[in-house]
Amino acid sequence: MANKRNAAIFAALIVAAVAGILVWRPTVIIYGLQAAGLYASIAIPMGLILGIVHIVNLAHGEFMMVAAYLTYMVCTALGIDPFVAMIPVALVTALVGFIVYKLTIRQALKAPELNQLILTFGLAISLTQLANLLFTSQTRKMSFGYVSASLSIGELSFGVYNFVFVAIAVLMVIGLRLFLTRTTAGKAALAVGQNPKGAAIVGIDVDKTYGLVFALATGMVGMMGAIFITRSSIFPAVGSPFTMKSFCLIAMAGIGNIPGILGASVLLGISENFLKAFRETRGWADIVFFVLIITVILGRSIKGKKA
Amino acid sequence: MKLKSSYIVVAVLSVIAIAFPAFLGAYPLNVARSIMTYMALAISWDMLLRSGQISFGIAGLFGLGSYASALAVLRGGMDPMLSIVFAAAFAGVMAYALGFAILRLRSMYFSITTLALMEIFRIVMHNLHDFSGGPEGVVLPSVIFKGASPALYWLCLAGLFLTIGVSWFFEKSKMHLALTAIRNDETSARSSGVNIFNYLLIAFVITSVLQGMMGAIQVQSYGFTTPDTAFDANFTLLPLAMALLGGIHSTIGPMAGAVLLGVASEWLKLKIPYGHLVVYGIIIILVILFMPQGLFGLARKARRERSKAGASHE
Repeated sequence: MANKRNAAIFAALIVAAVAGILVWRPTVIIYGLQAAGLYASIAIPMGLILGIVHIVNLAHGEFMMVAAYLTYMVCTALGIDPFVAMIPVALVTALVGFIVYKLTIRQALKAPELNQLILTFGLAISLTQLANLLFTSQTRKMSFGYVSASLSIGELSFGVYNFVFVAIAVLMVIGLRLFLTRTTAGKAALAVGQNPKGAAIVGIDVDKTYGLVFALATGMVGMMGAIFITRSSIFPAVGSPFTMKSFCLIAMAGIGNIPGILGASVLLGISENFLKAFRETRGWADIVFFVLIITVILGRSIKGKKA
Repeated sequence: MKLKSSYIVVAVLSVIAIAFPAFLGAYPLNVARSIMTYMALAISWDMLLRSGQISFGIAGLFGLGSYASALAVLRGGMDPMLSIVFAAAFAGVMAYALGFAILRLRSMYFSITTLALMEIFRIVMHNLHDFSGGPEGVVLPSVIFKGASPALYWLCLAGLFLTIGVSWFFEKSKMHLALTAIRNDETSARSSGVNIFNYLLIAFVITSVLQGMMGAIQVQSYGFTTPDTAFDANFTLLPLAMALLGGIHSTIGPMAGAVLLGVASEWLKLKIPYGHLVVYGIIIILVILFMPQGLFGLARKARRERSKAGASHE
């Protein structure tokens, strides 16, 4: 009862804060939502892996970086749009993810968690440095006219292109929900995520499911890599902050709670853009997320102790 | 008898290490210093790992130490040698305060939090323009010992010896039993009366002191630092790879790993200017997959098997 009332007060506070900011600095909300879309759509695939395979994939952002480079090569060679290249790039990344899973992660599934963590850390380093080796650390950028599309409402003018990420994030959540509840493979994945041993007993091929989920998630993040390049320049280390941010969002939402990632992303996106709105605090925007992650992890551990 | 001969080996090796400047030029000494820095970090990382806690924040405490030392000299007018002690103490105090919160976390939550803390330190140094010099970093008026390379080498060696000594003490004292018990099974360790939190805190503070000290030595020997060099992810990555390759949960393993990888990376750096670190990533993957105990673990296993075979022959 008390919990419910607390939650209601909390929600009311958030609504009031959002309304206040909306009136005062509308761009904070707009750009915050756009950033939230990007964060969420990268975090969701990682949440899928963490929820079902129970592996913290520290090479998550690096898969996106690889896909972005792949898109860059394909698009500059063939002169096509990243949105066209998106599907083949996603398929190739999914294949790479599957191979990486088979060769490395599968071998470490039974190993202690520390080994898995160090293993994916090693994967992340290898991918980043491989990109460094092949492409050097020079930044690369592709420009498209449609990215600078903007909308004016009264005196307010803002870029609308980045709303595409919000749409993708929402579509991902809906798509995953349908996949996990309506298809046989999805139901099997959900069962394996809840209890691998039990799933194996009732005849689900756990290894195959893990491989499928891993490939699906890397495919999704590969697709994100293809779209990512339309808005940002890329360099070998571009993916690693997203690994951290994704993990933070998942920890905030709670492992296995994929729709919760959306809410967590909105919180992160808006608070970051709130700081960015003022010149004095602009440099501190990056710290928001690290403070959030620590607060959330500590908060959860204390809550866990009490329960 | 066996103990005595190993003492002699240690003594001979330390004498050789101390005498290096007599027959090496400035460049090899510089390389040796960087290897020794990484070695000390690798050992200190391993010391905490013995309790099962894997830290990704080595660079954070290293950088904190280098900033504490540089700013103490620059803003507080402290003597450079004293500032190294100050920086080590500062890192220790920080670790003590932080430890109360983060040592309650386990496994991946602990690792990610240490990584996040490192980023926080970096961003703070990036943004405190007036105090820390912002992104341009700080430049000291002069390098310690006027930049004489033998003296710098001995300073670094002293830091390394201290680290090895502490690590050796960890291996031989009650700490070893306590940390191993915590690593193997926390619940049974607690029920046997091990004060888990205290031991973790001691280990965390001591390793942080060592890491901060190495950071201070580094900044005093180079005379400048920036947020991106002080908190360079390499200071986390390289020690980790070295300790893993040599063999974790020991003092000698990280040392061997540091020598092997340090020399190899110096050579690779000349061959492949961009991306030579890919080798480190691949080594980490291969070691985890095929020999989680590292080179020394393999050697130990081989020796045990040989002695077993010998025993069955008799």
